[in-house]
Formats: sequence, C-alpha cells, structure tokens
Amino acid sequence: MRSGLLRFVVRRLLFAALLVFIVSSGSLLLVDAAPGDHFSSFDLDAATVAAERHRLGLDRPILVRYGTWLARAARFDFGESMKYRRPVAQLVLERAPKTALLGVVALALATLAGVPMGIFTGSRRNLIASAARMLSIVVVSVPSLVTSFGLLFIAARTGWLPVGGFASARDLIIPAIALALPIAATLERLQSEALSGALAEPSVRAALARGCSPRRAIWRHAFRLSLAPVLAIYGAIVGTVLSGSFAVEIVTSWPGLGALMYDALVSRDLFLVAGCAGAGAVFLAFGTLASDLALAVVDPRISEAAS
Amino acid sequence: MGPAKNPDKSALNSGQLFGLWEQKLAGPLFTRVAAIAFVVFTAAACGSDPARSTPPAANGAPARGGELIASLRSEPATYNRYIPAGANTAVEVVSILTHARLVRVNRATDELEPWIAEGWSPAADGVTYTLTLRDGVKFSDGQPLTVDDVLFSFRVAYDPSVQSGLAVTLQVNGKPLQVAKVNDRTMTIRLPEPFAPGMRLLDNLPILPKHKLEAALDAKTFGEAWSPSKPLTDIAGLGPFILTEHVTGQRMVFSRNPHYFRRDAAGVQLPYLDKLTVAIVPDQNTEALRLEAAEIDLMSNADIRPQDHAAFRKLAEQGRLKMTEVGIGLDPDFLAFNLGAGAAKRPSAWLARKEVRQAISCGVDRQAIVNTVYLGAAVPIFGGVTPGNKRWYAEVPPCAANLAKARQLLASAGMTDRNGDGLLETANGTPARFSVLTQGGHLRERVASVLQQQLRPLGITLDVVPLDVRGMFARWQKGDYEAIYFGLAASSTDPALNPDFWLSSGAMHFWNPGQKAPATPWEGRLDTLMRQQAAASTLEDRQRTFAEMQRILGDELPLIYFVAPKVTLATTTKVLGAAPALQIPHLLWSADTLAAAPARQ
Repeated sequence: MRSGLLRFVVRRLLFAALLVFIVSSGSLLLVDAAPGDHFSSFDLDAATVAAERHRLGLDRPILVRYGTWLARAARFDFGESMKYRRPVAQLVLERAPKTALLGVVALALATLAGVPMGIFTGSRRNLIASAARMLSIVVVSVPSLVTSFGLLFIAARTGWLPVGGFASARDLIIPAIALALPIAATLERLQSEALSGALAEPSVRAALARGCSPRRAIWRHAFRLSLAPVLAIYGAIVGTVLSGSFAVEIVTSWPGLGALMYDALVSRDLFLVAGCAGAGAVFLAFGTLASDLALAVVDPRISEAAS
Repeated sequence: MGPAKNPDKSALNSGQLFGLWEQKLAGPLFTRVAAIAFVVFTAAACGSDPARSTPPAANGAPARGGELIASLRSEPATYNRYIPAGANTAVEVVSILTHARLVRVNRATDELEPWIAEGWSPAADGVTYTLTLRDGVKFSDGQPLTVDDVLFSFRVAYDPSVQSGLAVTLQVNGKPLQVAKVNDRTMTIRLPEPFAPGMRLLDNLPILPKHKLEAALDAKTFGEAWSPSKPLTDIAGLGPFILTEHVTGQRMVFSRNPHYFRRDAAGVQLPYLDKLTVAIVPDQNTEALRLEAAEIDLMSNADIRPQDHAAFRKLAEQGRLKMTEVGIGLDPDFLAFNLGAGAAKRPSAWLARKEVRQAISCGVDRQAIVNTVYLGAAVPIFGGVTPGNKRWYAEVPPCAANLAKARQLLASAGMTDRNGDGLLETANGTPARFSVLTQGGHLRERVASVLQQQLRPLGITLDVVPLDVRGMFARWQKGDYEAIYFGLAASSTDPALNPDFWLSSGAMHFWNPGQKAPATPWEGRLDTLMRQQAAASTLEDRQRTFAEMQRILGDELPLIYFVAPKVTLATTTKVLGAAPALQIPHLLWSADTLAAAPARQ
C-alpha cells in the first residue's frame, strides 16, 4: 500500500510539472499575442524602443522566443523581468511566501469558522441555523474585492486596524478576513450538506437506534463520513484562494504574488507573467496534492484504489 | 500646451481599473468608500535666493525633524533616471528626492531659479551661457561637486549606448548643446542656435557623481548601475534625501542628506524632515482610505477624483484633513483624429474634412461633460492650452452645444441623411460612423460615452473601444485607428520645449506624426511659427506667436479638447511647508521644504 501511495504521489508531482508547464507557457503566449508589448509607450522614443526590443530579443519570431525561454526555463532560469530588470525567479521567490502566508492564514480562518458552522447548520433545523445558512449564501455571493473595500472602509473610519500595507502582523488581518470569508461560507455550505447526507446514512441511523447520543453520532460517525466531499474540493479551494488573493492583494497593498502578477500583466512583462502564473500553478498543484492525501487518510477506499 | 512625454499619466493603474469595477460592482458604496478630505496648504514662498527658503512653521521657527509618509502607485525598477527604464513617474520621484539640477523650474510660480548653479549669464552672441556652481556643494557621500560631474552628466545623456530619453530634451532643433569647463566651478553651455527658453532646458538634467559612475559608463554597463539588485550605498546624489531602504512592493525610505546644499532663511539646513517614507499603494481607492486614516500624509502623484470631492470636503470640514484647489489642470484630454496618410483609404476618410471636425466640436455640450462626468470639478475648454497655464494661454474662439451650426457645417461637407434612417451619409453613401479608442476603466471611457450620446442627434454614430494604454499605443503607432480619446502630460509649460508635438516632423505630432514635409499648409504654418517663437527675443513676441498657433489648431481641430479638470490636493494636518503645483509630483517637487507638524499632546 505504501508503494501504491508513493506511485500516486509521483503521478501527482508529474501532473504538477505538466500543469506548471502548460499554465506558464499558455500565459506567456497569450500575453505575447495581445496588442502592444512592454515598450508600447507614449513615453519612449522609437530608437530607444528598437534597441531595448533587440536587447531582450523581442524582435525575433514568437516561436524562437518561446523556444529560448523554454530552454532556459528547463534550467530554472525564467528570464529577466522587463519592468524590474531583475531575474523573474528572484522576484517570484520574494513575493510567493507572502501570498502563501496570506493563503494559509485565510484557509485556516475559513476552515476554523466554516466547518464548525457547517456542522451546526447541518445538524440543526432551527431559526439560528437558517439565519447562518442565509448569511453564508450572502457572503458567498459577495466577491473578495468588495469585502476588502468594505473592511478597509471600516478600518479607515474606526482606526481599529491598519488600512493595507505590510509592516506588521496586524496588516494581515484585513486581507486574511477578506479572503477567508467567502471560503468559510463555501465550506459551511459544503459541510452542512455533507453532514445532512451523512446523518441519513444507514450506519449513523443504526448508531442512533443503538442508543448512541446525537452528539456522539454527529462527531464520532457522521462527521468523519461528511469530511470526504469537503476534502475533495479543498484542492479547488486553494485555487480560489489564489485567484481571490489577486484582487485582495491589490486592494490591500499586500505585496504578494497576486499584486506582482497584476503589475506584470499591466506592464506586459512577458517573462514575469509566465513566472507568476507558473508559481500560481505550483500552489494549485500542491494544494490539490495535499487535499488528495488528506482524503486518502480519511477515506480508506482512496488509498486502496491508489495501491 | 501640447502633449509631450510623461509616463504614468497614460499608464493604466489599478486605481483606474478598480474605478470601473467599483462602478459596476457597488456604485454608491464606493463613492463613499473613496471619499477623503482636503486641506489648505501652507505655501512655502521661495526667497530671492532659492538656496534660502522660508521656514514653514507659523511662528517663524523652523520645524526640523519628524517624518512624513507619502504614497506612490507604482514603484521604480531602477533608480537611474537616465536609462530608458527610468522614464516613468516613480523614477522621477526618486530622482527629485535624491538628485539636484543645475537650475530648477519652480513648479508653483513657473519661474526658472538657480539651483546648484548659483547663477548664469548669457553672452552677447545670445547662444552661450556661463554658469557658476555654488561653492561647497557636496554629494551625499561627502565628495565635492565640480564641473567635471556636470560634464559627465551631459556625456551620459548624449552617450548612444545609454539610450537616454533625456538626450532629446537636451537638444535644440535636433542638435546637442556644447558644454565646456572653465574651472572647477565655472562652465559654459553653448546652444546650437538662439533658443528662447535658454537654461530651462537644464531643468531635466539630474547631476550625477562622476566618481561613482564613470567606470560603469566606460564599461558599457551604465544601464545596470543603480538598479534595485545593487546596494543602495552605491547611489550618491545632490538631492535633499538619500534612499536608505527599498522593500519591493511595500515602501521606499528616504533619510536626510547631511550634505544637502540648501538652507532656509534662518540658516537652518534643509530638508526639514528626518525621514520621508514613500509607501507603494497600487490602488487609488486604498490610497484615499489610507490618507483618511492618516496612515499616509500625502499622495505623491494623485489629485482628488471628482467622485471623491464631496466626501473629502466633509472630512476637511471636520478638521481631519487639509485640502487645496491648486487650479485648472495643464494637460486636458483630447479627441484625436487619424489624419495620417493611410487614413484616406478608410471608410472614415470623411473625418479628414475640417468642417466635420468643427461640427463635432460644435455639437458637443462641454458643460454636460463637466456636470455628469467631472461632477463640476472641471471647466469647458476649446484648446489644448488651459487657463491653468497662465503665461501661454490664449483664448480660442468657442463653439459648443450649437446643433444648428453643427448641422450646417456637416451639410457643407456633403454629409446628409440620404436614406432617411436619421443617420448621415457621405456623397458616396458611406455612413457617418467611426470608432474611438480610449482607456478602459478611466474617466476617459465615460467622457467617450457622453460624446457617443451627444453626437447621435447629429446623425453621427460613434463606437467606443476601451483598451489598455499599451494596446492603444500599439494601434496608434501603426496608424490603425480612426480616433482616440486620450491625454498626455506636457513635459513643460513652455511650448518651445514641446517641439515633438507642434512640429509636423515630431514623433508626438499626434494626428500625423513624423512627417517628412508638412502634409498640409496649416501644419507648414505651425512649423514656421513654432521656430519663430522658439527663437524670438521677447516674451511678448513669443506669446503673440504662440497665440496664433493655438488659434490655428483651434480652427483645424486635428484634436478636439472638451474639458480641463481642476486639480485639488489633500494632505493630513501634519503636513507643513507644502508648495502645491499643477504638475506631478504635486508636492514632492519641493520636498526639501516639507515639514511635519509636531504631534499633539
């Protein structure tokens, strides 16, 4: 079984490599195909632009440029940022930990709030549970961007929290909450539905019939059963965190990968876009892998299938 | 003034992007969210010797010490103003804070002042100037400034391997200046021909330390010097501050330069501030909120948006912020038509008729744009030089909101409704329809939509095409457009320093750039007048000639101007000694006189 799990992990790692390759190549080619480039600017004279394009090889055919980039990327050299004039890898490695920190904190907050609330709403049929369900639906439908602005507005008016930036741990609160809220609401909805389903399972009903207390039936039997569908989409939630952090980082001046990616897109910084997209794909792949492994732990059928 | 080169005004920033999102997603919420108050600045009057400045404190005592925090929406990719990557607002801010010029155009008064040169004298030939450097000026690393550093700076600017954008601004009629050393403190500058702005040319040239950069220039590695990957201690300058920390994506910290040459009227060495932090805040809404929360004290390059005015004023009334209305902006947006050679083959070739463009100008109700898009924070205009440019503004005959005259003009150009569908057609049946490229998510997009509505009753269909700036530039460069609604910042208020726009051969002669010979008689006339006013010996002659140029442009209308926004700035009450200017950076151009009010007990 252990070798089966190893094969499963290796397969997933190969898939991650493929994902990174496709995402970074695709983003590079798409940005290249868009009208204009980094030097399309009313502020530079034609001779300077021609010289800079030549220096960076932008005057060569796209396939030649792509091939060159690919060959360098295979040696973990992802080129130089046109805007920052620094190696892409250096910039990405500077910013990625900040996005990871924000993502991990937001996921932890979302999990700690969403899962217990889902258990509560999934196991109760009262007014409070209905109100909580309604609240979740509202929160899910509000984009992180709007939540960020709302929280920043409150922070500016009350002075309780810093309005964006990254100088101390307190600066993490607003972006983490903005990012966590829709995820928490999603988890609540999932956990609630999953728990309702689990409570209707014959094994749980049998436990209750045997005299097991409702609390014990929920936590000992139904909760474990309900975790599988929640964990199954945890990988996808990691993707949500990344795409959500894109807007949140810009609005809250959080110096992470999302803000860098936006900067790269606006300035048509080809190699930096590819680098940021590739790093995002790495996050996504590892998030998916982590959720799959957790799922295998929770649901023995998964590890059996893998072996 | 005609548009010339200045970067970030044309760059799509996150504030503009989210400005659009804000309208689409939340409407009134964000109108409130973005609200921030204003302030009346205490203007720091420069004395007769600009090296002596009036202290900011009301009691006359200089308030040395303290710290202010400014915001900036982008960050520099280099600290080197000379290289192509240095041609943007963020690098210009760094350059203003850490370097000094021989002379300075006072942005508040538009007067030329001695700066590290204590003065200059023109020779009888009218083209040679002798400049003397101030005695005892030192770079931030303690090395004394000599004429050799100035000559080195010119050498860098003109060196083809550097590809410096500054080279173009240091030319007269395409020819470079000749500089020569007389002694360690004295030098001569010879212009290739008489040029009225004279030493104003030097306002763009930060003086570099030869001892720090000569080796890099000789080794052809100048472009890599002073980049963020190199130690900040490599940088030495003559400006009021030293860059001591740059955390990418977060902030730049500037500390007082202990060797700065300027003192205030009481003899206190400037700058007043111990520290100036520039926080990188990409989003304009967040920038406003951080100002409201007093997390930043001033916005480096941002004036207040029209939709924020009411709420900001309320905060100013509460004493939480200070605000000032600086004046009417210098760089209005314009509707530019493609009058290049290829345009004649397009279905919209009818736009080449002057009467059609005049009809479009007459058919637009400018006050409606002021009221609906700018919420009153703008004024109607009819030419590219706004009343804010007091020295060069000349009235252009107005024609606005006059549908009868517009219809008459269109009829005279052969544009009539031939098939009764309410829309005009040309004599050969081509419908009066054209597309306008504009900057998506910006106020410009809303103005373009208003133009679309207003031209409809005239029988003209306008299709608005929102793009990002780079995409729009690519289309403009290829001549692949019919019209563009856009705006550029002039590099100077003086028309002679914007030849790229006015001359038919200019790269920024927006409607038909880089002509080998003037394509039309009126452009030929503009060329002649431009050269006349640049060489004229008196200001009155220059103003008269430039007024005629403005009238020609106002009659031919290759660009139509509709409104000029008012520039209003806001700071926290902590900011003292500010000298607000219409040009960016509105406050940091005079950073050495900024001071921080002591914290209230």
